[in-house]
Parts: sequence; structure tokens; C-alpha cells
Amino acid sequence: MIVKKIIPAIGPIFAILAALITGGIILLVIGLDPIRAYSELFKLGMGTYLGITESLKRMVPLLIISAGLIIVFKAGIWNIGINGQFLIGAILVGWLAPLLINRTPLYLSFLISGLIGFLGGAIWVIIPAMLKAKYEINEIIATMMMDFVAFNFTSYLVKGPLNAYPGRFPQTTIIHLSKRLPHIPFTDIHIGLVVGLLLIIAAHFFVRRTTWGYEFRLLGENKRTALHAGINVQKVIFVGMLISGGLAGLAGANDVLGIKGAFQAEWNPGYCFAAVPLVFLARFNGIAVIPLAYFFSFLMVGGEFMSRAASVPVYFVHVIEALMLLFFSVIEYIQKKEKLFWKS
Amino acid sequence: MNVIEMKGITKRFNDLIANDNIYFDLGESEIHTLLGENGAGKTTLMNILSGMYQPDEGRIYVKGKKVNISSPEISLNLGIGMLYQHFTLVPTLSVLENILLGTNKKFFLPKKEAKKKFNEIAKQYGLHMDPDVKVWQLSLGEQQKVEIIKLFYQGLDVLILDEPTSVLTPLEIEDFFRMLKSMKESGKSVIFITHKLKEAFRISNKITVLRRGKKVEEVDLENKTEGKGKDKILNQIVEVMFKDVEPIEEAKEIPKRTMGETVLSLEEVTVKNDKGLEALHKVSFSLRRGEILGIAGVDGNGQKELAEVIAGQRKVSSGRISINGTDITNKSVKFINNKGVFYVTDDRMGEGCVGNLTLAENVILRCYKKEPFSNKGIILNLKAIEEYGEELIRSFRVKAPTAKALVKTLSGGNIQKALLAREFSQQPIILICSKPTHGLDVMTAQFILNEIKMQSSRGTSVLLISSDLEEIKELSDRIGVIFKGELLDILSNEKATREEIGRLMLGLKRKGK
Repeated sequence: MIVKKIIPAIGPIFAILAALITGGIILLVIGLDPIRAYSELFKLGMGTYLGITESLKRMVPLLIISAGLIIVFKAGIWNIGINGQFLIGAILVGWLAPLLINRTPLYLSFLISGLIGFLGGAIWVIIPAMLKAKYEINEIIATMMMDFVAFNFTSYLVKGPLNAYPGRFPQTTIIHLSKRLPHIPFTDIHIGLVVGLLLIIAAHFFVRRTTWGYEFRLLGENKRTALHAGINVQKVIFVGMLISGGLAGLAGANDVLGIKGAFQAEWNPGYCFAAVPLVFLARFNGIAVIPLAYFFSFLMVGGEFMSRAASVPVYFVHVIEALMLLFFSVIEYIQKKEKLFWKS
Repeated sequence: MNVIEMKGITKRFNDLIANDNIYFDLGESEIHTLLGENGAGKTTLMNILSGMYQPDEGRIYVKGKKVNISSPEISLNLGIGMLYQHFTLVPTLSVLENILLGTNKKFFLPKKEAKKKFNEIAKQYGLHMDPDVKVWQLSLGEQQKVEIIKLFYQGLDVLILDEPTSVLTPLEIEDFFRMLKSMKESGKSVIFITHKLKEAFRISNKITVLRRGKKVEEVDLENKTEGKGKDKILNQIVEVMFKDVEPIEEAKEIPKRTMGETVLSLEEVTVKNDKGLEALHKVSFSLRRGEILGIAGVDGNGQKELAEVIAGQRKVSSGRISINGTDITNKSVKFINNKGVFYVTDDRMGEGCVGNLTLAENVILRCYKKEPFSNKGIILNLKAIEEYGEELIRSFRVKAPTAKALVKTLSGGNIQKALLAREFSQQPIILICSKPTHGLDVMTAQFILNEIKMQSSRGTSVLLISSDLEEIKELSDRIGVIFKGELLDILSNEKATREEIGRLMLGLKRKGK
């Protein structure tokens, strides 16, 4: 029984190992010491309090975004415009949260700010969602195009009307440290992590154990069967995209309220490029997302440490991420071919 | 001399032995039939000959020379071509373009020469056809002719025909057999794959019977030296084909029913197909309680659209559909389901079910929002769903290891049983069955027909849409014929002869004549 549950994890684990080995070869080729680089990566990223705390903090937006992606991807809808939805959610919160915090009880203002972030992300996906649901216009192109609009629009807002410090580096009003998301007791990690974990588990449950999730899965596997079953396909597409956009916006709220304290100009963390591969590596399984999200954020955090300690470029972790995905595709292919070996 | 000799062919798929030490010979100008139930290994054996599969053991000789057929191309170069059950034509190209596809090596299409050659072939074998017509405009029977011409065009000597008659109407089958004879006379050799005994007898020189991957009998119909009559040989084959298997399901009689009031009525319903062209033109009929109305017709004459429009999957352009007096025109699938109308689609994998979900998840398609399968229509009750799956597996004799098996791992017949189980268990008032036994073996087919009869005897009205005249005749009270989107005569089953219906199916006799 347990073996059966572990077998699907072999693919991602193998992909990670193969990526690290290939990455090591690349380091050798550019004249760096892979053993030293990796030992710094793991020692600083996983072996220090700071490394672990930072990694756990960094995984929060990935968890929240992945929760939304699992739901839409299961329905076969590809919302690739996470970055834009994130930025819209973040800038709305960056603008409104400082106003709320001074007028309403702190916890209520967090709640409302989260809602604002969610709504911001959801609003940003309404146009692609309508185009997809009503006219079957490709959502990949539409959501991606909205990214560019979002980036430039938020950039205009933060440098213009929403800039709280004219003449200085443009950003929204900085939320005082004492008014940011509280920490989980005995740690330096804000409660966003709890929210993120709850959301990813909820998404997992939603897809597998609810009638709505069943409709999403039917649509994702075979649209004609969904129509045969009388499922309102347009509604599923619309709701699914709104949920994923909204959660991207909520991740924006998390970053503003828990980490940055403001929306700064030229800020675009590009979580989409980490979350999409992550969700694929996890095979759309919410529980599997958790360790993988940790690993991805460990790579990001550890990569920064490593670049300082072993003078390896920060971008090297992107190389590892890309290699992981490539190897994962290869393994998927082999598994399909060698069903006997992997299954049964 | 034998054109083809296959000696000791064995092919395994994991644990399954699809072909077990099979010997098969094909002589010149001979029609050799491979007879057997679905899954007997006929298609596998021929896929080996056409280079699709490699045998695990055994040797193949073509015209006395040992060959290694490692790809379909090698098979074609040896003069062997296969006509598949599923056609490989491109619908938007013309007949001639389709024939040149894959055979033409030049940059520009040699249309003039090709047309000349095409017409020669067509004339020789009586395959009349316009080379410039687009393939999507052709019926399945005509598409099959295109496939055959394509094989001849490549200059092949050996033709493998996989269940070629399953898409043809009775009259087309006659034509087809005439063509086979002229092929034989012109020196071609034919391997004819079928599960229909009668056809095998009419046309073959030799019959090889396969069962569960093994060759169980070979009969030479030319030299009946053992002095046996035709009937005796027939009995002998039936015995080897079905010996020791589960007893063949007897065709059940439908108990006498009194037809009740009208439950479904269509009034001048006009519908467009996916291309936006008119697929149904002013179709009107009514269905009474407990009645089985057969809709016969060659595939692609509007049957799919008819079923979909009643089931709510397609919009009506004009006209009215009502159930028990309630107007259901352009209502949603769920609304129509709630009125007791359920549709068993003929496109089992494409539409009927989801291969990557389990059997249990597939059978709750119509009831997942109801108790006990979900709590208040929100949280799925996995245990109840699984139990329900197991229950349907038992009552419909679906061969599946458990209800947790993925549907894509089941055979076509078992998927069909699961689909029927799903719709039947909803206690339908009206059941639309589209080609319910298509591609299934005799036993499964009979089981399914019996289940439909049982439903009818409980008062369910059935709309049976099929191109198989035999099942239409066996089940229906009345028979309507659909041709080019129009419903021609509706005849009572007792009065209608097969020939009459067959002619109507081809549009040879119009209403009122």
C-alpha cells in the first residue's frame, strides 16, 4: 500500500537528482567547484535557522498560487497570467491596507486586505475568463497578454498616483513592522504559512472530494463527456479561472502584508515561472506540492546564500529548476513507455 | 504456391498471449477468412503481417522467401496492404488527394496520371466514385471504397480487410462481395477478418478459426473431401468457436406489452450539425410508453444529431420536442435528465466516459449530486460511490477487477456495459440507444440487446438508433429510416422486409412512392 503511494514520487525525486548532477557538470564547465557550491547551498539553505525560516516564508506565495493552479489545471484550463494577477492584488493591498490598518481592528483589516487581494486578482482574470468561457478564445494567450498590461499599469500607479513618497524611491505607504502579519508563535515565520498550507490542502480536497471538483476533473479529462453529463462548462471555466486569479491576488496580499510591507516600483517576483513547473512536478497533487514548494523556495534562498559564499551566479538556481523540469518530462515519457516496470 | 505462409507465430502482450503458435497460409487468388470472436487474436495476427507488431516467435514467408517485416513500409513493399476498421482518410481533402497521400513521392501532385489510373482501377473492380469529391461528404461505405482503391493504387497483391462489412448496409454488402470476387478473379489474394459466420461462408475459399489466441480449426471449403455438407461444417465451426465458453445468451422474447400514451414527440425538428449545415430536416415522430422505435440508417445521415437534440446536447433550429406534454426544446441536459430521458452514446471513449477516471467515478456521471453519492450535493461520498460501482459491475456482469479500475483499461464491450448500467440505473422513462452493440462480440451484444428488451418490458420507451439492420429488426416495434437528415417512412416491424428497409437506407425509395 505504502509502496504504491510512493511510486509516483520517484519521478520528481529522480528529476531533482539528475538536475543537481547535470547542474554540477555545468558548474565544472564554467570553472567552479560543484562540491563546494552544493555543500554551501545545502548547508546554508537547509542547515541554518535563517535558511530554513527564509525558505518557509518564501514558500507561502508558491503554496497559495499552486492551490489555485491545481484547481484550474485539473479542469484543463491554463491560467498562465499569475504574475499579472499577483501584481494587481498586491498593489490594491499596498494602497488600501495602510488606510484600513489605522481605522479598523488589526485582524479585521488583515481579513479585508486578503479579500481585496483576492478580488484584485479575480478581477484581472475576468476578461480572459469570459473570452474563454463564451467564445473559446485561448486563455494562455489572453492571460499572458494581461500580464504585460498589469506590469505596466501597476508600474504607472506606483510611480504616479499611489506613490506615497514623491521624490524618493516610488512605493506605497510602508506598513509599520508591528502592523504586519503576526508570526507563528515561537518562530519568525508569519501566519501566511498556515494560510498557505490550509489553502493547498483545501484545494486538494476540493478537487478530489467535492462534486465541483468532480465537474472540474471531468471537464479537464474530456470536455465532450462533461457536456454529455450536462455540466455547465462555461460556468466551470469561469469560476475556475476566477479562483486561480483570486488566489494569485491573495498571494500578492501575503507578500505585501507579511514580507515587503509595501508595493515597490519595478517589483515583479514572477512566481508563475516557479509555480507552474512546481504544480506539474507534483502531478497536480496538492499534498505533493508542499515538499516541492519547500524545495523550490529552498533553492531560491539557498541560491542567494550560495552566490555570496561560493560566487556562483544567483541565476544558477533557475538552471537547476529548468533542468528538473526537463528531466521530469523525460521520466514521464519513460514511465509511459515502461508501464510494466513502474506500475503494478 | 502460397503467397504467404506464417509459421508458429506467437505474440505476447505482457501476460496476455494474443497469438499462440499460429500457422496460417494464403494461396494465390484465394479468399481466406480469419474467423473468431473479439479478442481472439485475429487483428493481432494481421498486424504482425502488416508490420505494425513484431512477433515474439515464428517465421513469415512471402512467395517462398523468408522475410522480416519490421515496419508497415516493408509490408507495403512486399505487396501486402491492410484495410483498418478505423479509416485513415483526411476529411477535408478530395478522394484523389487522399489516395496520393503517402504514395506520392514527387513535389507536385501528378493529378492527371493519377486520375487516369484511378478510373482504371475503379472500372476494373466496379468501384464507381468521383475522384474530386471531398471525403467528408462521403458515407462510411464510400470511404471504405476509397481506402480499397488506395490499396490497389499502390499495386498490392495481398489485401487484409479487417471487419470490412461492419460499416455497410445489406445492399452495400452485396456490392462489396461482388467486388471481392472480381478481386479474386484478377489474381489478388484476400484475407478477410470477420466475426460473422454467415459472411465467412458466403465468400471464402478457406476459413481459419481463432479462439483465445489459438488456431482451433481450418476448413477448406473448396475441397470438401471429407464429404461433409455445408451445415455439418458450420456446426463444427460453431462448436470450436464457442465450446466450453459461457453459454450463449439466448435471445429473449419481449413480453407482450400494451403501448401506452405518447411520451416523446418531435414536431418538424430541424437541427444543424457542427459544420453549421442542416443535419435534420423537419423530423417528426412520436414514441409511446413501452415502445421500441428503431431508427435505421447508414451512419452520418443525422442520427448523432437526432440523439443529441433529444438529450439536450444540441440546439434545435426550429421545431418542438416535448416529453409527456412538457416542452423540452433547447432545455439543458440536466433538465432533460430530470424528465427521465437518458442517452447511451455510441462514442464510448470520446464522449461516454473518461478513460483516466475509475469505473466508479464514471458510473456516477448522472447522479453525483444526489444522495448518497454526495452529501447535500457538495462533498462526494467515496465509499458510496465505490459500492455503487461494484453493484453495477455485478448486475451488468462488467468484467473489471474492481470499481477502482481505470476505464481505459477495460475492453470496449465492458465499457459499453458500464455505460448502459449507468443510464439504465437512472430508471429512465425514455432511453436513447445509439448503436448499442457496435463492435462487440456476439455474446456481449446479445446480453445488451436483452437488457434493452428488459427495460422496455418495464415500460421504458426506447429510441434505438442503429445502422445494424439485424438488431433493429430484432428489437423494434416500429422502424423509421433516416436518410440525409430526413425521416422517411416509419413502418411496422412485421410488415417491413429487410430489403425494403435497406433500399430506404440508401435513399432509393422516397416517401409517398
